[in-house]
Amino acid sequence: MNRFGVNRRTILSGSAALAAMASLPRGAQAQAATRLRTYWWGAKERADRTNKVDEMYMAAHPGVTITGETLGWGDYWTRMATQAAGRNLADLIQMDFGYIFDYARRRALLPLDQFVGKEIDLSGFTQQSIDGCKVDGKIYGVSLGLNSTALIYDRETFEQFGIPIPEWPMNWDELGERAAALTKAANRPGYWGMTDNGGSGPGFECWLAERGKFMYTQDGKFGANAEDMADWFGFWAKLRAQGSCVPPEVQSLDKLDIDTNGLTQGKAALTFSNSNQHVGFQALNKRKLDIAMYPAGSSKTKSGQYLKPSQMWSIAATSKAPEAAARLLSYFVADIEAGKILGVERGIPASKPVRDAIEPSLDTISRRGLNYIAFISDKVRDLPPPPPRGAGEVLALMVRTNEIIGFGKKSVTEAARDFMRECDSIITRG
Amino acid sequence: MSVTAQIIRRRRPSLAGYVFLLPWLLGFFGLTLGPALASLYLSFTNYDLIGTPHWVGLENYVRIMTADSKVADSVHVTLLYVAMSVPLKLGFALAIAVVLNKGISGLPIYRALFYLPSLLGASVAIATLWRKVFAGDGLLNHVLLVFGIHGPSWVSDPNTALYTLVALSVWQFGSPMIIFLAGLRQLPQDLFEAASIDGATPRQQFWRITVPMLTPVIFFNVVVQTIDALKAFTPAFIVSGGSGGPINSTLFYTLYLYQEAFGYLRMGYAAALAWLLVLAIVAVTAVAFVTERLWVHYDD
Repeated sequence: MNRFGVNRRTILSGSAALAAMASLPRGAQAQAATRLRTYWWGAKERADRTNKVDEMYMAAHPGVTITGETLGWGDYWTRMATQAAGRNLADLIQMDFGYIFDYARRRALLPLDQFVGKEIDLSGFTQQSIDGCKVDGKIYGVSLGLNSTALIYDRETFEQFGIPIPEWPMNWDELGERAAALTKAANRPGYWGMTDNGGSGPGFECWLAERGKFMYTQDGKFGANAEDMADWFGFWAKLRAQGSCVPPEVQSLDKLDIDTNGLTQGKAALTFSNSNQHVGFQALNKRKLDIAMYPAGSSKTKSGQYLKPSQMWSIAATSKAPEAAARLLSYFVADIEAGKILGVERGIPASKPVRDAIEPSLDTISRRGLNYIAFISDKVRDLPPPPPRGAGEVLALMVRTNEIIGFGKKSVTEAARDFMRECDSIITRG
Repeated sequence: MSVTAQIIRRRRPSLAGYVFLLPWLLGFFGLTLGPALASLYLSFTNYDLIGTPHWVGLENYVRIMTADSKVADSVHVTLLYVAMSVPLKLGFALAIAVVLNKGISGLPIYRALFYLPSLLGASVAIATLWRKVFAGDGLLNHVLLVFGIHGPSWVSDPNTALYTLVALSVWQFGSPMIIFLAGLRQLPQDLFEAASIDGATPRQQFWRITVPMLTPVIFFNVVVQTIDALKAFTPAFIVSGGSGGPINSTLFYTLYLYQEAFGYLRMGYAAALAWLLVLAIVAVTAVAFVTERLWVHYDD
């Protein structure tokens, strides 16, 4: 009967042993080995660099084990929300400006002020780049790289047809005219001067700055009115009509990533994007690309752009080894050797010593990004108020509204009015 | 022998049965019933995954029924999809099954070939391929150009995007086809012989004998395919990149549910949407079973 020699007594003593192990104080376990989990999004290039830095850190700190998890942008936030719900977030989390307010205010992240000057070295950071990661006055993230919005364009094609390249300072109408001229000069079916960016949130935000408005007000309301929206969507309707940008059935193939963007797909010569992404665009484009600032207002003196952390490290509120996580964080953002490995792949390092140390070894494409950030630094404005909850849904609504007008389902005025109504309902609901 | 021992002895065979069932029972209660009940509870709450759910009563359901224009859009898209894809797919499956039932040689090969799309069809790769085939400069338009037709950009035009998904669904006719084929093989041959002797044409035989005799199989396929179509998610998710665009023209109900849940973290609201979908599927199935006796013929 009792072939395996298991009886009630052995089971009882076994469970007692398990219970005893589980009740060991946390400290005793941590002493044996500190295990840190990191979580970030990105492609293979970033994975290689990040893993290398992890290995260097582990070699220098015996007793620390780092495991990394990485996903693409689309699945990243879904999984993160699920992990947050299960109180199972990684210790070190790569965070985005659009999400940090949500996660910090829901108390999923740890305020880092207590570590600054101790575990975390921010001495090389400007106050601006520290403030850019604050939520309600507390530091919840540390910048892994600075970036800004940027036009990414096929310089070779512009030069080939003798069209003036998009250069600062240039206003919105001039951009439209140059793109229309390029469409005309290229004279190729299925090819246009630029992608249709009427649905671009960052584009709109920059355009709105000339009217002295932010996309979201300090108290989390939508900052534009129906007239602003009609003017913005109307501007793009005009560009479509004059052949500056791709028609709606081409634009709607864009799934808001580099792969499906009209520039990558060979449909257009220019698109609205972010400065650090020009590395990714160049990797997928055979022709020589370049970056330029978004158009200026009619006065051509001020830009509506701003510098922002392209991504940051945050520490989970549930982390069991927050000090160790903070030390690893500091290694990523302030250590020169780590900085050399990471390069500008996540954006321009915020720490000046790191920036200076890596500058000589950068390749042409990386240097272009570095120069761009240097060039725009004295032209940009301060960080706008944080986006409220529902901001992501408003971006999707902008894309849809631009399509509704593009496909001729509604007039500009009508679509702008409907946009305002739906936008209000999204923001109210949060 | 004591009474207790007797009871244990009598129970033992069934106990062993339950022990063997344990993995399934654990799965059912832990992974199906438990989460389903939790989702029922969540549907009456406001829950963003990170915080704690708080009770809002019927608010989610009221909003779905009265104040959400996207629900109306997505129900419209889903019903249109069901109404087009189910009859087309079943008609196509039946036609192929009838042809394959003629006793041609190499039947197993054809059967496998025609079944293949069903194996591939639900995959991400095929949905991606579909985008390429039906794009403005895609394969379909190149073929149409041979006949001098300039086709639109099928996948990215709000007037045609849904039809490309219907086509994708019809293309996966394999599994109803196999079921039809099995059904056709069961039909008593003497009926057809008698009909031939009486001078019935093949067309008459099909409509007067094959179809009526096949109604139980048709009924099964209609119910299964309708439920499948109501639940369709992957093709729309991949073809539109999760947006349901252009202009919500491919916003399936399940896709909207997904957006609310995982895009905007409104788990309570999404749970309410999910429960209404369950109720709708139950209702549709119930209607099918009630009307069954009007058109389905069983042998008895």
